[in-house]
Formats: sequence, C-alpha cells, structure tokens
Amino acid sequence: MENELTYSKAAAELEVIVKEIEEENIAVDALSEKVKRAAQLIRFCRSKLRGTGEEVEKVLADLEEKTREEEGEQF
Amino acid sequence: MAESPIITLSELNFSIKAALSYSFPDTYWVIAEIAESRCDQKGHCYFNLVEKDDDRTVAQIRANCWAYEYRKISQKFEKATREPLKPGMKVLFLAAINFHEVYGLSLLIKDIDPSYSLGEMARKKREVIERLQKEGLIELNKGLRLPLVPQRIAVVSAPGAAGYGDFMSHIANNPFGYSFNIQLFPAIMQGQEAEKSIVAALHEIRKRQDSFDVAAIVRGGGSQVELNCYDGYELAVAIAKLPLPVFTGIGHERDDTVADMVAHTRMKTPTAVADFLISGLKAFEDRILEAQRRLGRLCEKALKDENHKLNTLIQRFHYAVKNSFRHQESGLDSALKALKIQVSHLLRTANDRLTIYEKTVKHLDPANVLKRGYSIASLDGKVLKSVADVEAGASISIRLQDGTVKGKVQEVFTHGE
Repeated sequence: MENELTYSKAAAELEVIVKEIEEENIAVDALSEKVKRAAQLIRFCRSKLRGTGEEVEKVLADLEEKTREEEGEQF
Repeated sequence: MAESPIITLSELNFSIKAALSYSFPDTYWVIAEIAESRCDQKGHCYFNLVEKDDDRTVAQIRANCWAYEYRKISQKFEKATREPLKPGMKVLFLAAINFHEVYGLSLLIKDIDPSYSLGEMARKKREVIERLQKEGLIELNKGLRLPLVPQRIAVVSAPGAAGYGDFMSHIANNPFGYSFNIQLFPAIMQGQEAEKSIVAALHEIRKRQDSFDVAAIVRGGGSQVELNCYDGYELAVAIAKLPLPVFTGIGHERDDTVADMVAHTRMKTPTAVADFLISGLKAFEDRILEAQRRLGRLCEKALKDENHKLNTLIQRFHYAVKNSFRHQESGLDSALKALKIQVSHLLRTANDRLTIYEKTVKHLDPANVLKRGYSIASLDGKVLKSVADVEAGASISIRLQDGTVKGKVQEVFTHGE
C-alpha cells in the first residue's frame, strides 16, 4: 500500500494544513474539510504512539472508503 | 667421553638447581604475555608466559603462583584494572627463578604491577581508536538521522540481567502510555566471550534492519569488571556499520568505552536509554499537539470572523430591504398621482368630445333643420330626393316646422347646370 500513513507523512501533512490555514484565507467550507482531515491525522499519530495503531488504520481505511462512496454518488 | 664424569640425573638436576640459585639469587620484574592460565582446586595458579615479536614467539616459560599469593595478586590487579588476569594480557610480574628436580624450570610469581597492564590496555585502546578514526568509523553511526519516532527497538542484552530488566520496566511504565515494540537479541554482555557474542547479535539485527528504528546495547547491574570487551575493534566496527542509530547504556563507571565512542548516542545506564527513547516519542506528540492547538485557535478565529461577516451581511440585508421598501412605497405614491392626473385628463377630453357630439347631433336633428326653414317633401310616404322621382300632377305632402302642406305638382324641371 503506497499510501500507507507514517508518522512523518502525518506530521508533515498536518503542518501543511496548519500553515495553509494560517497563511491563506480559507473559506469556511474548505476549512471544515481541512479540520476533519487534521483531526484524522492527529488521532492517527496519538493512537499509534500508544499502540492502537492497527485499529486506527482500520478506522481510517473505512473512512476513506466511505468518502470515496460519497464522492461516487455525487458523480 | 672418558673425560666427562658419570653422575645420576638427580645429581645433575641438583647441580643445575644450585647453579641457578647461585646465578639468579634475586627476584626480577618480568614483562610477559599470559598465553595460558589454569587454576587448580586449591587455588594454585599455573601460567604459560610468552614474549612475542609480532606473532612469532621469541621466549616462553612456565610460571606458578601459589594460592595465597595468587589471591592477593589477582585482587590487586582487578581492583586497579577492572579486569581479571587472563590470557592475552601483558603483565609485569615479580618472579623468582625456580628449578625443581622433577618439574624443571619455572618462574615463581611473587607480585604484580597492574600499572603496566593498565598502560598496555590504554595503549591498545588508543590504537583501536586511532585505527577507527583513520577508517572514518568513529562518526559513521552518528551520521545517521534519528528516526522521528523511535518506537521499534532492537535490544542487545543478557536476558536475565538487571540492566535489561530495568530497561524493560522503565519502557513499559512510561507515564505517557506510549507503546514500544522491543525485540531482544540475547548476548553475553561481559567477559572474554562478550565481544564476539555482541557482534553476532548486531549482525542478526542488521539482517532485519527494516523492522527497527534504533538499536540499543544495554547492560548493567553486573560487576564492574570484564568490560574490556567494549573497547574491542570488532565490536566498534559492528556498531559503526549498523545502518540503525545505536544507543549504548553499558552501565560502567569508568571513562567512555570505544563502543560508546562509535555509538550514535551514549548513555550511562539502560534506564537513561529508555528515558531518551520515551522523550523522543514525547517530542513528537508535543509537535502534534502544538499543531492541534494552533488549529484550534485558527478555527476559533475563522469562525468568529465568519460570524462577524455574517452579522454584517445580515445588517446590510436589513438595511437594503428597508430601503427598497421605502423606495417602492414612494414609487407607488407618484404612480398613483400620475394615474389621477391621467384619469382626470382623460375624463375632461371625453367630456369635451361629448359636448361637440351633442352640438353636432343638435344641428343634425330634422326638427332643428325644419326650424331653420328647410322642408321635407314626400310622395306616398317616401321622402323625395330627386325630381326624377316625381311627375306633374302627383299629390305630395310637404313637412314644415309646425305642420304639413298637401298639394298637386304643377311642373317639374331640373335646375340647369
């Protein structure tokens, strides 16, 4: 799985999100999407630090699947 | 042959013994390397001492040390060097020359000067360090980047040792609840076999390097002797060339060992290594939490801004609606006025037109025409419009304003053109 989330990927993405929000004026609609993603990343890191990483990955995988389904419905 | 006297072996050996004690009456400080050593049950110790030039033996002799002396000597040596007397060591013994009629020539060891061995060890260590420096190995492992989160750890230690136990319980009881994935690679951690054993463990780790973030060599709780193995060249190379950052927590009280020098990070004790690893995870979590806090503040601000924008928009909308009503109200008023004007104008125009019609109608009324002196002639009830409709002698009636005249037509003529 090439998209496997790692600590460094998660931290980097999280910090990019924070920077984006800090530096650009992000619309509230986009903001909620970004914050949702940030919350995922934070949850991933903190759970993985405490060894519940596998569960987190499963949750994230489910979540992504759902998102894909929803996007599929839109088109 | 006849000139030589004939004597017994014991007589010969006795003569040798006498000659030797005459020639070597004193004791001597002798530099030698221990090639072999063996102690018996009574505590007497037997050595094979050699002198080497490179790898070639240039001198060799047996040596004995009686139990009482040996106990004193070995304690003195260990106290000074933290190493037991063992093969491979260069030592400075005080020895007497001894010849026994049955057992032959040997040295009788009386004392030892550990400072010579200490100097030798230091020299050896220096040589190892210099060689490592020349080969660029001292800094090699330090050049590896510490992983962001050192969570998968390959540990080289002795399974039953206190140091390993301390390390594990410290990791397991970390106050943040972090979980670590720790794999033990068992090794002998002190003594003659240690260097080879630790090197072998490091090679095992190397085979599975992708499964680990860092390696740790931990030891402690054992005695403070026999740690010379950590100054060995082979171990230093194995540490330096491991593609994972190596932590040491060897738990010794003396100066840094060579292993410490080539390691990525050296700690005094196994618990210090554990603390360092835990602090690595804490630092990462702090970074994540800081991002979370910043995100929280940003969201709060963004929502406040958005709320403010919305409120402003609502106010503007209110104002715009009110304004538009006022506008339309006044528009309606003027339209009404215009309508009124328009209507009264229309009414007037219509009235004028009616008056004209009335007049016209009045003019055209036959009664009025008759009043003005015109008359209407008719024949058999039909109005006469042309002379062609009447002949002389016909009875016609003529309607005037106030009555009718009846008569006979005398003549009909046409007005000439």
